Amino acid sequence: MIEGMMMGINTAFSGYNILMVMMGCFAGTIIGMLPGLGPMSAIALMIPITYGFDPASAMILMAGVYYGAIFGGSTSSILINAPGVAGTVSSSFDGYPMSQKGQAGKALAIAAYASFSGGTIAALFLLVAAPQLAKVSLSFQSADYFALMCVGLLSIAAFASKGQFLKAMIMTALGLALATVGQDSLSDITRFAFGNINLMDGISFVLLVMATFAMSEAFMIIFKKMDINFKSSDVSKTSLGSIKLSKKEVKEMVPTIGRTSVLGFFVGVLPGAGATIASFLAWGFERSIASAKDKLKFGKGSVKGLAAPETANNAACTGSFVPLLTLGIPGSGTTAVMLGALLSFGVQPGPRLYVEQPELFWAVIISMYIGNVVLLVLNLPLIPYIARILAIPKNILVPLVLFFSVTGVYLISFNSFDIYFMAIVALISLVLRVLNYPMPPLILGFILGGMLEKNLRRAVLINDGSFSFIWERPISLSLFIIAILIVLLQVYQGFKKEKE
Amino acid sequence: MTINYTRISAFIFLLIFLIYSYLAGEIRVFAFDENADFNARTFPKLISYLGIIVSLLTLVLSKNEEENMSQYEWISVIILFALVFSYGLLIKTIGFFVSTNLFLIISYLYLGVRNYKVIIFSSFPVVAGLQFMLHGLLDVYIRDPFLQFLGVIS
Repeated sequence: MIEGMMMGINTAFSGYNILMVMMGCFAGTIIGMLPGLGPMSAIALMIPITYGFDPASAMILMAGVYYGAIFGGSTSSILINAPGVAGTVSSSFDGYPMSQKGQAGKALAIAAYASFSGGTIAALFLLVAAPQLAKVSLSFQSADYFALMCVGLLSIAAFASKGQFLKAMIMTALGLALATVGQDSLSDITRFAFGNINLMDGISFVLLVMATFAMSEAFMIIFKKMDINFKSSDVSKTSLGSIKLSKKEVKEMVPTIGRTSVLGFFVGVLPGAGATIASFLAWGFERSIASAKDKLKFGKGSVKGLAAPETANNAACTGSFVPLLTLGIPGSGTTAVMLGALLSFGVQPGPRLYVEQPELFWAVIISMYIGNVVLLVLNLPLIPYIARILAIPKNILVPLVLFFSVTGVYLISFNSFDIYFMAIVALISLVLRVLNYPMPPLILGFILGGMLEKNLRRAVLINDGSFSFIWERPISLSLFIIAILIVLLQVYQGFKKEKE
Repeated sequence: MTINYTRISAFIFLLIFLIYSYLAGEIRVFAFDENADFNARTFPKLISYLGIIVSLLTLVLSKNEEENMSQYEWISVIILFALVFSYGLLIKTIGFFVSTNLFLIISYLYLGVRNYKVIIFSSFPVVAGLQFMLHGLLDVYIRDPFLQFLGVIS
């Protein structure tokens, strides 16, 4: 382990990879700040840039983009009450009132310190938990992997659906169906290509992600006549004030950071949960344990109320890397996109990654520390300048997002068919999103489809064609019980809602 | 049961999964694999069952949500979609640099940008910068007859 860690430190601290972290954090902050464009779109737009990179550098860049986007989202939440990403909505509860009181600088500093601490504490947990979990998961067999993926798919559908579980399940099934287009991995038989040579290799993952997120988001801005741009005067007139914190404020923040980083990390590890749930939970949790006097301050510019969601969302981002790196199962939509990118580099995340490519495994973990320092040292002083990006008019932004999406897909294949196909998929996604069909389950279904089939095939063949592995293996059985519980919980919530 | 957009979409999905199920049964497998416990048809069949069940449940259980589709900017999106499509058509024939700049400039103009300085600064330098990064720094070759003709790239 020590040897692997040293290799990881070497890789992460190379000048090139430090530059990647800085670039990732910077780009993520800018994209995350723009309302509508979240971490998934930010990472999707970065994929084409990483083509010539080695997997470690690409992963480091994308991880930087991820927590940069979360930090950027907080900035627009605090300054103009327009959260760039869902994970930072709860930061606006107390951040924006502070801004209105002329304490925007202080609020941004609290957000930066809390994000830094949350990310760093969670990275320490990751350092301890990931190798242990990787060792345990080495005993997993195909049947257990199949069961685990079912749990992952169901929980993403449950959490991402916002009460529309059935619609999320339709999207999961659609994602799985799209994954079957092209050659079957074992027999090499072509399926669902309809004689079209462009479909024989299957649908490109980058194409699907770009179309369903970046391009459809750009269409959505025009479609819903969203007023996403703010006058530069609105941004610059927000008085930043001092970024210094008093001793009393620091004292108030420290226990909150400690508690919510643990909470955020564990919520992040759960498949499907992620930064949004972690930040809301942390805000609610801190409010519930606060004294009656402190409780009144929540929602009106409380230090604790801002530090809690900021710590938790960054800790959850780090936590979501645990299932990705150790089990090869993404814990959130964003890590699902990263999994797809890793697979396209020929890297298979999972327990073997820890053994076979320790430099990649550890470099990603260690780069998170560097990323947190970059966010604190580089982004905090630059925030007043970076915030001007909010003034980019949507009629400039939309064509640029469309251009980057098209270029990203075209650069993989140099095939115009992919551009047509992407535009059609983006248009269909737009309609589905308007009808409240969530997109993350589609992406997760698409990415896990191939692995799910492979593991199910292996499990069935090992069991002589029987599905008895479901109840014969204790790990599989426990995981299937969890899957059934997730479905039952959704059914119960549905009935409860109906009654209300 | 009233008709709403969710029910219409669920019905379309039901049709898609029924067709998918039929096509899954039509996948040609090797003769020795025909009666195997798991062949190339098995997984698509299972997905189709899942899709059919959830689409049916959505069709039956969906509540009446009023969604007014006419309030949206359909025409603008369709024009942008057509622009992306045309960009795809042109990129092979006239090359990356010219087609991308054309796409950006027409999109800006269509979306109401009238400041020519903004249009020029948000198109040519962006495209040239990206092309330099890909071609010059990352060694990603992009076919561009126009720049080749000018002798900018080899």
